[in-house]
Amino acid sequence: MNRVLVVDDEPQIRRALRTSLEAHGYEVQTVGTGEEAVVGAAETAPELMLLDLGLPDLDGTEVIRRVRGFTELPIIVLSVRDGQHDKVAALDAGADDYVTKPFAMEELLARARAAMRRAQPGEPPAPAMRYGSLEVDLGRRLVTLDGEPLRLTPTEYQLLEAFVTNPGKLLTHQWLLRKVWGQGYGTETTYLRTYVRALRKKLGDDAQAPELIVTEPGVGYRWVAEGADDGS
Amino acid sequence: MDEGIDYEGTARITLRAVVIGLLTPAVATVIAYPVAPTRPAISIAVFLLAVVIAAVAGGLWGGLIAAIIASTVRPLVVAEPQLSFRLDDVEDIATGVVFLSVALVVGLLVGQASEDRARASRREREARFLGTLSSTLHTREVPDRVLDEFAEVLLEPFALSRVAIEATLDGTDLRAVARADGDVAGGPRTSVRLLNGDASIGTLVAERPAGGRPFSRDDQLLLEAATRQATAALDRARLDARARIAQLDAETNQLRAAMFSSVTHDLRTPLASIKAGVTSLLDTSVQHDPGQERDLLTTILEETDRLNRLVGNLLDLARIRAGALTPTRQPASMDEIVEVVLARMRPRLSGHTVGVDLPPEPPDVSVDPVQIDQVLTNLLENAGRHAPAGTEIRVSVLWRHGSVQVRVADEGPGIPLEDRDRVFEAFYRGSSIPETPGSGLGLAIAKAVVVAHGGRIWVEDAPAGGCVLAFEIPAEEAFA
Repeated sequence: MNRVLVVDDEPQIRRALRTSLEAHGYEVQTVGTGEEAVVGAAETAPELMLLDLGLPDLDGTEVIRRVRGFTELPIIVLSVRDGQHDKVAALDAGADDYVTKPFAMEELLARARAAMRRAQPGEPPAPAMRYGSLEVDLGRRLVTLDGEPLRLTPTEYQLLEAFVTNPGKLLTHQWLLRKVWGQGYGTETTYLRTYVRALRKKLGDDAQAPELIVTEPGVGYRWVAEGADDGS
Repeated sequence: MDEGIDYEGTARITLRAVVIGLLTPAVATVIAYPVAPTRPAISIAVFLLAVVIAAVAGGLWGGLIAAIIASTVRPLVVAEPQLSFRLDDVEDIATGVVFLSVALVVGLLVGQASEDRARASRREREARFLGTLSSTLHTREVPDRVLDEFAEVLLEPFALSRVAIEATLDGTDLRAVARADGDVAGGPRTSVRLLNGDASIGTLVAERPAGGRPFSRDDQLLLEAATRQATAALDRARLDARARIAQLDAETNQLRAAMFSSVTHDLRTPLASIKAGVTSLLDTSVQHDPGQERDLLTTILEETDRLNRLVGNLLDLARIRAGALTPTRQPASMDEIVEVVLARMRPRLSGHTVGVDLPPEPPDVSVDPVQIDQVLTNLLENAGRHAPAGTEIRVSVLWRHGSVQVRVADEGPGIPLEDRDRVFEAFYRGSSIPETPGSGLGLAIAKAVVVAHGGRIWVEDAPAGGCVLAFEIPAEEAFA
């Protein structure tokens, strides 16, 4: 059974989350302060933390920083703050995802499942994944669309690799730039946008009705396609 | 007042007076010489005429010089033999006295007349100056602007190099300084008090360029008259500013009242639906079938979303009112923003056909992508609300004169001309359609964001009926 640590100072939210999560088979521990959250993350080793940013003692971003000091446990921020500053700050501090309150329970559960799946140790990623008519084989560095091989530039390929190895995760501009271009980068969002546009075009993804890459304005991108293990 | 204000005394001896005073007796001598010995009376008449002409043309001094010369020369001309000097004749002395008297009388009269004429034209120029000054100053609405303008208009007519005004109005210190180009200061200076009733509210200091004319009494008087006008204009501007603040307060109160009624209605309505739905579901005395249960739950969900949107709008409005709406600019492409908004809005615009026109390779603009996203979202929501189902909503992005323009055209009822500015006011819902589901905030927020980006937003008629809501953000601002 998956253990979830819920950190929120509002008893009503704690109760609602506890009820819904337990109904879905999770074991739930709830705390109301940042200090308790850090202690809880260390002592009970949960598989997921749902964290409110507006805590009475510590700011949520500080909690993320402290928790990241000793564990890579997935953290999903739940917050009423919807400004891009707050999102980027929490994500850059090490949060895995950011869900704005009020949220739909099914969406939160989907994000939670994706985050825990990404964090699963041991199991090596499948060498080849299929997303509808798109097939990505990281082992052979081969990308095909409708069975036809796609010619991607090295940068486009690295970008695609960053996306498919972090499915469902909200990847900030800064994170993607450092991952693909290197440590010296972080503010050159124009490059990033140009390459994402080119990649979308080659993958046949319509930005007005995206099925692969979703834009989070001012924050980053998210690979949303559910992959199927290609098996071959 | 191009010629400036000149206060030259007419009794002064000038080169012109000397020349005329010398010239006229000379001409008289030439005329009188042939006839003088035979007809002395004619010679007297000729010289007298010369003295009168000299006094008329050359003023008092011209006349006097001519009279002295004429009385000296005339006896020489009429003497027998001519040009032999003898000044013992009583007749000659009497003639000389008459000449001098005539010159004195005519010269003084002429001087008086020309002085009167000069004074009249000066008064006229002063009146014109004060009139222009008054109308110029009274069109200035802010006290600071009145003083700036006043300082500026004094420079040329008074031939000043520098004007400095200091005044205290309602506890606020005002200062205005004007300088003429290229003039060196350090010449004569004078000062005038700004009086409001008997109370001094400030001082004006005027300075002429080094080597300039000293200030005459007339200069001083005119400067004082002008300063009185400026003080009156200042007082009026101050009262106007107060009236504007009062009006602003009234508008704020009206807005507050509208906000209260709107918020009460818009917040309570969804809450009522939610509470009704939930209490109905919790009621153990009735058995809902699965269809009814689902309907109730769907209503609760929809009303929750509506409430959330309204709260978001109210928060934005509060941020705007608090002046906290500062764009976080970053390079962004307008087509990407359009695509993101359309991707998110498609479910809510499913009753409409949505068309898009994007330029092939749009340049980047420096904007706050989240805020511009919201502007477009609000424009699309507005279009979706007012345009009937089945009609087309078309979004276009175009580049025009270095600005990026985004247009949302719908085939709805359009917006009457008289409402076109008011649609961007908070809580305004349009006079023709009082009960529309919007909060009346979307367009006000859109306008505030666009203005914060240095752009503008407006309403146009759509070619196919309906209206276009368009906004434009200048590229030079965008890359600032």
